[in-house]
Amino acid sequence: MAKYDVIVIGGGSTGTAVARDCAMRGLKILLLERDDIASATTGACAGMISSGLKYMDEPNIVDMCSDEVVNFKRIARHVMEKNPIITPLLEMSDISSGGNFAEEYSKRAETRDVPPVLFLTPEDSLKIEPTLNPDLIASIYFEEYFISPFALCMLQALDAKQHGADIKTYCEVTDILTKKGSITGLQYFNRITDKMESAKTKAIVNAAGPWAHKIAALAGAKLELRLNKGAHVILDRRVVNVGVIAKAIEGRMIYLFPHENTVLLGTTALDTWEDPDTLVASQDEIEYLLKSMEWVIPSIRDARIIRTMEGVRPLIPTWKIPEGDVTRGYEIIDHEPEGVSGLISFTGGKLVMCRHMAETATDLVCKNLGMESECKTHNEPLPGNSDDVDILALAKEYGVSQHTVERMRARRGSETATILELTCDHPEWKTTICTCEPVIEAELRYAIRATFPQTLNDLRRRVRLGTGPCQGTFCTFKAAAILAEELELSGEDFQLEIVDFLAERWKGKRQSIRGEQIAQEELAQGIYACVGNLDQALEELDYDLKPWEEVL
Amino acid sequence: MSEEEAYQTVLATLKKEAIYPYTEDEMQVVKSIESCINCGLCIQHCPVVAAVGLDRFSGPRSIAVELSRSPPEYWTTADVVYLCTGCGTCREVCPKDVDIPEIVNLIRARIFKHRPDLMPKQLHTADAIIVEHGLAFVPWEDPEEKAESRDMRLERLGLRYIPDQVVKGADVLFYPGCQAEERAQEVKESAKIILNHFKVKFTLLEELNCCGLPATLLGDDKTALELALKLKKKVKDLGVKMLVTTCAGCTSNLARIAERDAWGIPVYHMLEYLVEEIGIAKLSSAFKQSTEEEPLRVTLHDPCHLIKHTSRITMDYAGQILGLIPGVEVTQSYAHDSCCGGGGLVSYHAGDVARAVMKENLAAIEETGATRVVTPCPLCTAQLEDSLFRQGSSVEVDDMTVFIAQRLPQEG
Ligand SMILES: Cc1cc2nc3c(=O)[nH]c(=O)nc-3n(C[C@H](O)[C@H](O)[C@H](O)COP(=O)(O)OP(=O)(O)OC[C@H]3O[C@@H](n4cnc5c(N)ncnc54)[C@H](O)[C@@H]3O)c2cc1C
Ligand code: SF4
Ligand code: SF4
Repeated sequence: MAKYDVIVIGGGSTGTAVARDCAMRGLKILLLERDDIASATTGACAGMISSGLKYMDEPNIVDMCSDEVVNFKRIARHVMEKNPIITPLLEMSDISSGGNFAEEYSKRAETRDVPPVLFLTPEDSLKIEPTLNPDLIASIYFEEYFISPFALCMLQALDAKQHGADIKTYCEVTDILTKKGSITGLQYFNRITDKMESAKTKAIVNAAGPWAHKIAALAGAKLELRLNKGAHVILDRRVVNVGVIAKAIEGRMIYLFPHENTVLLGTTALDTWEDPDTLVASQDEIEYLLKSMEWVIPSIRDARIIRTMEGVRPLIPTWKIPEGDVTRGYEIIDHEPEGVSGLISFTGGKLVMCRHMAETATDLVCKNLGMESECKTHNEPLPGNSDDVDILALAKEYGVSQHTVERMRARRGSETATILELTCDHPEWKTTICTCEPVIEAELRYAIRATFPQTLNDLRRRVRLGTGPCQGTFCTFKAAAILAEELELSGEDFQLEIVDFLAERWKGKRQSIRGEQIAQEELAQGIYACVGNLDQALEELDYDLKPWEEVL
Repeated sequence: MSEEEAYQTVLATLKKEAIYPYTEDEMQVVKSIESCINCGLCIQHCPVVAAVGLDRFSGPRSIAVELSRSPPEYWTTADVVYLCTGCGTCREVCPKDVDIPEIVNLIRARIFKHRPDLMPKQLHTADAIIVEHGLAFVPWEDPEEKAESRDMRLERLGLRYIPDQVVKGADVLFYPGCQAEERAQEVKESAKIILNHFKVKFTLLEELNCCGLPATLLGDDKTALELALKLKKKVKDLGVKMLVTTCAGCTSNLARIAERDAWGIPVYHMLEYLVEEIGIAKLSSAFKQSTEEEPLRVTLHDPCHLIKHTSRITMDYAGQILGLIPGVEVTQSYAHDSCCGGGGLVSYHAGDVARAVMKENLAAIEETGATRVVTPCPLCTAQLEDSLFRQGSSVEVDDMTVFIAQRLPQEG
């Protein structure tokens, strides 16, 4: 049985950060993720590595976030972008809600290389963002950094791997083994080999996000979480020039953030007891977001919604206060006092803090293991962050369109050249597979070979396959064929891959479908059902309808 | 920080992040991409894609989607966006009315303004000429040489010269456009012959200036607007009731700016003017008196700026008019409405692409067995002539205005 110094459960931002930190400190690491890297909460988040926007009353957290932004700029600038953000004020009372925000933000602005909070006149605001309600009386302006959550997790996982960690996706932990109150190992079901497997360890880090309480229970430990659902509505493209923040119907803050090639409208915050696995955004949530944003951007309803996405925040369990008052900090719980030594769990936290959370947890693990070590995760760059990428030169050298190269750079950083190099032996790999983002075949092949995806959905997280307005209408069958060839899938599995991917796209489309997306859906159905005959094939395939596919 | 300082600070960040805020008008243009369902029809019909393949020209949808989804990356489209001929085929076939040619203009305008280094240098040269002369071409230095060239052309074509005239309060302003003014002078002369024949009270401009289409196409919106406003003033001063032009590009562009800038007069292509204002009856009787009777098999080429940017009816008129001319037999080419490659300023910097686009037309023209191509646009004429000549074809090309003028009874 394989033996590890530490086993990390969960491949979200927290788990991958922990695996990286531990591995960099020389520990022998296994990370187990029951699905894919960043497939849960992390994949549903907005990627804002915030300066502490929503928690200005917690100065220590604001400090931490501010420092983390600086760290990310050092280690992952290639998957980051900066968004200017406007908060239009429609009435005087909107100003008061700013509180000490301007002061707190501005204090730390310089270290992050952003201007202090600024006030703009209505005229200037409208020049920057003409979609704003012309009745605004002023606006508040500031800047925040964003990171691609998928890319961050993937890079952390890859870096951990390069430092010797074993990263296993599609491995679901089913039991944690203890002996006399101490962890001895765990069991997991490997969905790729279809087998139960086990591993030995004395230390487990439970980074299972909103499932953390279930993991703790496997070891007989207790963990409480306040689960809080959040949904985003995703628009087809950047319909705004800059990010916009507005006050929602009950006074919370909601936003419209440019995100990759789209805009995210979010988010809701609802205490939830639903199963995070089958959660979908509700009509109420969609309407809440549209209604709230409509005051400041009256045309928002004319925008094309391509889908919704939702996740569950694993908040620190503080009760009898509104969600917004729950601290945005994190806690690390050592279960030793309750008689389970070797298990530590996270509650709370955010994407922006994942590196910090990992550092604290790894310090604790090292202390428990009785070793001295130093954290290096804030100084050592993540893969792809090394050199600047010369888009024009690469596009010319490899005969690939500049735009394709630029999008590749945004996902891959300095690996871009390595990917393009593949087209020398395979000029046909310049073919565009996903025409919305766009993604060429070479990048898909590279991602399949270098970043261990098992499904088309995994590929989506790695290259943004099928995330554009057509939502996989044209890339699914092409990408499935490539995946099938690379992974030597059977004909049946090839078809299942297509159906699974379309089903997952449908999960996000179904709740919000309207307008042009209906025409788009008809085309997709026409291609896959009428032409591809997949609706007939389904009967012979071993396919169970997903909960969100049930016909009402 | 003062209001102004605050605004400037914001602008500095926007510039650094390559965010050039869309204005409201631009947002309307870009919004049209929102209805795209990725059906691929535009890609199937784009003549440039057909000619050079998707690897070189990623196609109409890609241009529109690439720009509009992530505005800060507008500049990355510079290697494809200048290969669009602006033919308008994509917009015509699109089931969702996505206005790709307008989006192309918008991207080019952004590159012109913010990343001129990425624009083909030939277009910089073209722009400098427009800015300096207010014309698409460097004008003749010596008026006598210009007149000589004109007379040679007239002689070869058997046309007589009617002196230019500027008449305040005339009914019709005849606007030849840069090509017919500076290069294909026979087109301008023929128009005068036609108008004269039908006793139209017409005038020319004292001094021609470009309608601004080439400036728009290369992204120099400022110059395009200046030219448009200058022209409006001249038109207003002359107090004409309508404008007639012989150029397809001028027709579509003048119609657009006349509407946008409220000129208050209609814009006609010569063919429209002839059918709608002069009338088929008069035309028919004029052709009957013609001495030119040699039987001739012709085929028509439809200029994109008429059929895809203005109205398909103009080419119906062309067919009707040719049908009135004794001895003329029209055989339709299967590629009659396919772009000649001459648009969008593509031939300025990517002659190979323009010629590749033309190839399909050439094959189709040869197949008709016609000995002459007729087209109501001096630019298409030049493009077709050049390509047929390079190919060693014996097929000749006539601008339709010239073709008509030649078949009117010779007077005086
Ligand atoms: C709508 C929304 C917007 C947000 N926006 C932001 C933002 O802009 N900025 C920010 O900083 N934060 C944001 N957050 C918060 C942030 O997303 C989360 O705090 C963070 O991603 C949590 O990461 P995690 O790794 O702890 O959890 P997860 O990403 O949920 O990872 C836990 C993983 O554990 C795995 N797992 C569960 N059970 C098992 C098992 N038995 N065996 C193996 N693996 C298992 C799961 O599959 C999952 O992948 C947002 C959250 C939401 C919901
Ligand atoms: S305008 Fe013509 S050349 Fe340009 S993209 Fe459309 S079809 Fe192609
Ligand atoms: S024809 Fe129109 S809807 Fe179809 S892909 Fe082209 S732009 Fe999109």
